[in-house]
Order: sequence, then C-alpha cells, then structure tokens
Amino acid sequence: MIKLFGYAMDIGEQMLISGAEVHRVEESINRMCQAIGAVRVDVFIITSSMVVTIHTNDGNTYTQTRRVTNINFDFQKLHCLNDLSREICEKGLTAQEIEKKLAEVKEGKRFPLWVEVICYAVIAGAFTLFFGGNTIEALISLFIGTVVRICLFFSEKIISNKIFNKFFATVIITLSAFLAVKFSWIDNVDKVIIGNIMTLIPGIGLTNAIRDLFTGDSIAGLLRSIEAVLTALAIAAGYFLVTVLGGVLL
Amino acid sequence: MTQAEIIQILAGFVGSIGFGMLFNIRGRRLFMASIGGLLSWALFVLFSKCIPSEPVVYFIISCLISTYAEIMARLLKTPTTTFITTSLIPLIPGGSLYYTMVHAFQGDLNTFLPKAIYTMQLASALALGVIVSTTFARVFNKVVNRKRNKT
Repeated sequence: MIKLFGYAMDIGEQMLISGAEVHRVEESINRMCQAIGAVRVDVFIITSSMVVTIHTNDGNTYTQTRRVTNINFDFQKLHCLNDLSREICEKGLTAQEIEKKLAEVKEGKRFPLWVEVICYAVIAGAFTLFFGGNTIEALISLFIGTVVRICLFFSEKIISNKIFNKFFATVIITLSAFLAVKFSWIDNVDKVIIGNIMTLIPGIGLTNAIRDLFTGDSIAGLLRSIEAVLTALAIAAGYFLVTVLGGVLL
Repeated sequence: MTQAEIIQILAGFVGSIGFGMLFNIRGRRLFMASIGGLLSWALFVLFSKCIPSEPVVYFIISCLISTYAEIMARLLKTPTTTFITTSLIPLIPGGSLYYTMVHAFQGDLNTFLPKAIYTMQLASALALGVIVSTTFARVFNKVVNRKRNKT
C-alpha cells in the first residue's frame, strides 16, 4: 500500500515535470490513490512542490511530499504516464509491474541534439517570415537559430539557471542580428530578433499562468506569472545590453 | 487571401511542427497538433476581416481550437495539453511581449503601458477561451457518463 502510494507520487511528479497542468496532476493522483484503496485523499500541488495525504481503511494516514525543480515539456512522456495512471485505475497493477513501466517511461527517448538544432533553426526562420520578414532575413534567422541552440547546449552544461541561459541566448541573437545589419545583409534587426526569440519568450508560460489563475490554482498561477515576467525581463535585458554596447562599439 | 497571408499561415504551420518536436510529440499526434497550428492562424486571418477587435478574435479562435484539441485528445487518447499548447503557438503573443519589454527598458511609459495592457489582453483572451471549452468538455463528459450509467 505505502509502496503503491509512493509510485502514485512518482507518476504525479513525472507528469508535473513533463508539463501537465496542476489540475490534471491533482486529478490523476486523486484517482490513483482511490484505486489503491485510500478512503480520503488530500492533494496540494503547486508548480514546485507536491503534498499528498491519504487515509486508509484501517485508520492510518500517510503523507508524502515531492520537490519539483525544473519543468521540461515532454508530451511523449506525459502520454505514457497518462496511460500508466489510467491502467492503475482500471486494472490495478502490482507494485512490480508499475515499477517496471515507470522505469520504461523515465528512460523514454527524446529527439537527438541535431534534430533540436534543426527545430530551433526552422522555428526562427518560420517566425521571421510569419512576422513579415523577407527571404534573406529568414535565412539569417535560420542560421542564428542553429548557432543559438548549439551555444545553449554548452551553456546549459555549465550553468543550470534557465533564466540566465535565456539572457545569454538573447545576447547572442541580438549581437548576430546587429552584425548582419553592420555587414548590410539586412536593413532591420526587428524581424530576425523576434523570429529567434520565439523559442525563448515565455508566451506559453504567460498563457498557462493566466489559465491556472482562472481555474483556481492561484499559487501555481502566480508562481508561473512571476517566472514569465522574470524571463521576459532577462530577455529584454540581454537585448538592451547589446543595443547600448553595440551603439557605442559598432 | 493575399500571398502574404498564405505565407503567414504556412509559416505558422511550420513553426508549430518545430515546437511540437521540441515538446517531443511524435507520430500522428504531432501531425494533428501542427494541423491545429495551421487552423488557428487561418481562422485568425478569416475572422480578423469581419471582427475589428483582436482580443475578441483571439478569444473565439482559442475556444474553437481548444474544442478541436479536446476532440483530438479523445480520439488519440492523450492529454489535451499536447494539442492546446502546440496549436495555439501562432497566436502566442510573443512579438507583443517582446515589444512590451523593450519599451519597458527604454523607460517610455507612453509606449510601454498600452503595449503591456494589449499583451495581457491577448494572453487573457487565449487563456479564457481555453477555460471555456475545457469547462464545456467536462460538463459534456459528465452528461455522457451519466447516460451511460443509466443504461
């Protein structure tokens, strides 16, 4: 029973990490705990922490907490976890079965780095066109996107702070865009920068934050909004730094 | 539709595929999620011609796309977030948020405030649209379940 409870927590934790909404995780944990025989389940989840207490038939109560540090969108993993939690509710798997499946899900593959590099490049190019850039601007965006992902790969190894990494990436983007103008390949930096910044900007974060606030997960929503604002500030700071220094040097 | 609009719609589609792959969506789910991205901007181009207020257009499209996401999630048996997040990518107020922060750092309140309010309007419209259709989907589910239990 306690072991199964632990696994339910693990599944919830992994769901939260792979980008599920707070509401969904709470619901899944609730269902799983009821399926393994809890009479009452109290779930409290915010984006960075989970607290769950269950009451059992024989009058015992158990509480477990999990600290969640970084959220990394991975919808393939979320899909598998969702299936797993559904199976637990419907079929009632044994501890060994859950352990095996959970290990499989945790190991789940992601796209290799070179695919991500291409994704960054294509996103940057596509959104430069989207916001009204011409073909040359899109090609330059494509190139900068490639450089940014490779730089991020190294900076993420050294520094784990996500917001600082975004600041660093913005500096690279803005610097390259200004250099492209300097060599008069393009006339205006705006479209190239916006295209590239789409991969960094917390637009999704902001929308999700407001969604959490509306659904009633106020604390999770507030935490997410603050994170979105800070990220936006870091990006603006990176842009500003290069613009000011570039005005002096170039 | 002008040529520029078609390029925009296709670019939004390609951008959605890119984000979908970054989010590690695979196979049929990736395809359907990106189609959502294509739909969302095509609808925007269509609706913004008859409705003058952009936030209102955002709200309507967000409702429609989330409904699409709910249906796809049922069909392909996966969490709805997968489709909502990817399909709304072209509508995400990234550009607007960027200009807001640039104005903030330039310290020009006259350009910063309207832009900031506008960004919040767009993001809220998107979020509200998602909530409206999620709520409807829940009600719908309850009704269906109740009918099933009766028979």
